[in-house]
Amino acid sequence: MTGEGWWWRAAARVGGAVAVLVTVATLAFVALQFIPGDPAEAALGGPGSQASAAALEAARAEFGLDRPILTQYFDFMWRLLRGDLGVSYAQRIPVSEVLGNAIGPTLLLTFTALLLAWALALVSVVIASGHSRRARSVASALDLTAAAMPNFWLASLLVLLFASVLGWFPPVSTGGFSGIVLPALALAIPTAGFLAQVCRAGVDAARTAPFIESARARGETELGIRVRHVMRHGLVPGLNLTAWALGSLLGGAAVIEVIFARPGLGRTLVTGVLGRDVPVVLGVVLFSACAYVVVALVTDLVISRVDPRTESRLAQAVPRA
Amino acid sequence: MKPTSARTPRKTAWATGLTAVALVLPLAACSTGDGTPTSDEPRTHLVYATGDGEPSCLDPHVGGNFPQALLATQVLESLVALDTEGTIVPWLASSWTVSDDGLTWEFTLRDGATFSDGTPVDAEAVKVNIEHLQDPDTGSSTGYLAVRQVAAAEVVAADVVRFTLTRPDAALLESLAQPWVAMQSPAGIARGMDENCLAPIGSGPFIIDEWVKQDRIELVRNAEYTTSPDGIGAPDAAAAETLTWRFIPDATARFAALEAGQVDIIDNPLPEQITVAENSEDLAHLDAPRPGASNRIELNTSTVPFDDQRVREAFIASANVDAGLETLFEGWAPRSTSALSSREPLAVQSPEAYVTDPELANALLDEAGWTERDDDGIRTKDGQRLTARFPVTGAQSTQAEQALFEQIQAGAREVGFDVQITLLDLSSWYGALGAYEYEMVSAPYTKIGPDVLRFLYHSDATVPAPSGYFANNAQVKDPELDALLDTIGTSMDVEERDAAARAAQEWIANASIILPIYDQQNHFLYRGDLSEFRALPTVNTPWLGTVIAG
Repeated sequence: MTGEGWWWRAAARVGGAVAVLVTVATLAFVALQFIPGDPAEAALGGPGSQASAAALEAARAEFGLDRPILTQYFDFMWRLLRGDLGVSYAQRIPVSEVLGNAIGPTLLLTFTALLLAWALALVSVVIASGHSRRARSVASALDLTAAAMPNFWLASLLVLLFASVLGWFPPVSTGGFSGIVLPALALAIPTAGFLAQVCRAGVDAARTAPFIESARARGETELGIRVRHVMRHGLVPGLNLTAWALGSLLGGAAVIEVIFARPGLGRTLVTGVLGRDVPVVLGVVLFSACAYVVVALVTDLVISRVDPRTESRLAQAVPRA
Repeated sequence: MKPTSARTPRKTAWATGLTAVALVLPLAACSTGDGTPTSDEPRTHLVYATGDGEPSCLDPHVGGNFPQALLATQVLESLVALDTEGTIVPWLASSWTVSDDGLTWEFTLRDGATFSDGTPVDAEAVKVNIEHLQDPDTGSSTGYLAVRQVAAAEVVAADVVRFTLTRPDAALLESLAQPWVAMQSPAGIARGMDENCLAPIGSGPFIIDEWVKQDRIELVRNAEYTTSPDGIGAPDAAAAETLTWRFIPDATARFAALEAGQVDIIDNPLPEQITVAENSEDLAHLDAPRPGASNRIELNTSTVPFDDQRVREAFIASANVDAGLETLFEGWAPRSTSALSSREPLAVQSPEAYVTDPELANALLDEAGWTERDDDGIRTKDGQRLTARFPVTGAQSTQAEQALFEQIQAGAREVGFDVQITLLDLSSWYGALGAYEYEMVSAPYTKIGPDVLRFLYHSDATVPAPSGYFANNAQVKDPELDALLDTIGTSMDVEERDAAARAAQEWIANASIILPIYDQQNHFLYRGDLSEFRALPTVNTPWLGTVIAG
């Protein structure tokens, strides 16, 4: 591939990402104008404030809410360009600081959940890549059940079983590692169900493919065939789904963080939306969009390694057949 | 294709299955050992888990909501308190006098009281606090209402402060007892709002050490603490040294944490959890309903259909509240038939005004002209359906209360009402009220004393605050009631004030403007080995200053 072509594609990619972020920022800003409630009340004890006219005016002036909405929008975008996310109305500290405190715990939770989800999905896919029809149908049924489970319900179930009955794990976050197991599982299980399901289609196709016969003819062991050929084929759709999975895990974190009383972005978002803390909500939304864009990019790169067809296709810029 | 070996897949399945279990199991070993105590020595550490939201500022002068009051009770103290009988007793103020015209109050402050930073609790400090509450830049929305009548606070002597009022305020002491008007160190206030929000400095039993946002607040015992209110003793030497204040929004997780010994005390339990705790040897239950108004459904009297008293009476007669309370609250929420909390000494119950009688309801609606029925069985009059919009918010109504509203909705439907319940978030709910998009609503209101009736049902309370908020959801504007409420607010004659409070409740019952349900529920569950745990009888926030753990 030529250097020029790569730069062109990279620039297009980055330009696309920026366009996504600007659109997300604008949509979020507009959406927040339409939900009822006065953001100034965020600074005055929350909705239903009985604050005096003077106090309300002071809060509006402090956050620039008394200016025309377009001025507020352009000011927001201009500050965003300079990397300034503004100040939280409720907490009166920079949004970057609010996010900074919340990002770590959420990333830890979502990545632990993603690893667990892949581990569980792999177990199911390995079973499915074999020949036992019964094992395959059991795994398939489990995947379906897992994928269909709402994570808040699963969370309560896990707390009941592992915290209340068995007493293995603490029911709410301890700040230590044991506290992350149940929330990560609650997020991982439904995701694992989805991952395993899409992988299984690829696995099923691969099991009967002619190249398996030829590999067998070459004298490859059954395990080798399964890992090197069947699984590798089956994983591509799953990897494709990882960007989506991370997005869904970030979304699920909003519920799970509240249930397990963990600090994090999800909880920040819920509090921000309920309290009409506009800068915080915009900050979380933008961060999530950023994370999504980055993960999608990384996934593409990983897939091109796992599936060489993609790499050559990318290199030759040949449209997908 | 034939399987080469029938055993391999099963073996692999087992192996991978075991790997998955192996991934999880070792983690179990890491689970914390801070569960059940093993020694007989009292624990020095106490953990309180609240289901109320996390405040954005810990200084209750700023804004002023219930989550702030819960924490402020551990750190800050007020000028006066209430005893368990509801009588005002000294706290930071040891005594007070009021002039005959009710316009001048002098408070003498407790000898030797100091804030935890060493600043004395003196007249100057009280003056600074009142001015802080009244300063628009503080953004107070609750506390400033309590001191709105105070035109000036002046230092008479080092330990005597004089309040000059714009009008007599019979509820001044009740107002000053509230945690949103608690006293803070002037040096703390002088640091500016950002810093003071993180750790207000008070004279209370605990000192804020660290606030890890979204997670917990760490507090340490105030070693110099001497100023507990009359009726509550000084902390024992064995009382907990440190306090962790946790935010656990989910009720199931909160209770599981209590059962596991991860926390010592929780608030906002579910009714079924109260039953479990009551039947458990390891757990205990404290029922401390909040003062002020009872929880009630208010009927908007300014518009169709509830502008007609017969329709209001019919709605009330259609509701079988008692049956719902018994099943949904498992008996932990006794019925109220008063606009006031049963904690209020002047509360008058009027059970005869709230009797369930569907036949009477039907007769009243016929009489009021709602005689036709449409295809859904909803009554109509001149082509208009008998509809009542009922916005409900999960932020104010628990799951059980929402279920109760649905039962009331079903009862009303039997006699031909179309009650439309809409579940909203708190901001949208206030939005709906502000836009008058409701015929009925349930809005709790906490305040100490019968003066809460003036806040809720005086015609002045139909005028929206600058934020759009108004408290008179029933939209009552009645000169006779206003006169009674004015007497409650201003009369310094105790007997006259008490009589007016009783008459106002009678008026409210006779006019059928509300359907009282129960006291504002406020339950705590705690580990059975705790002693000296109680609620502070002002707004019944938890008093952890004296708790001995184990």
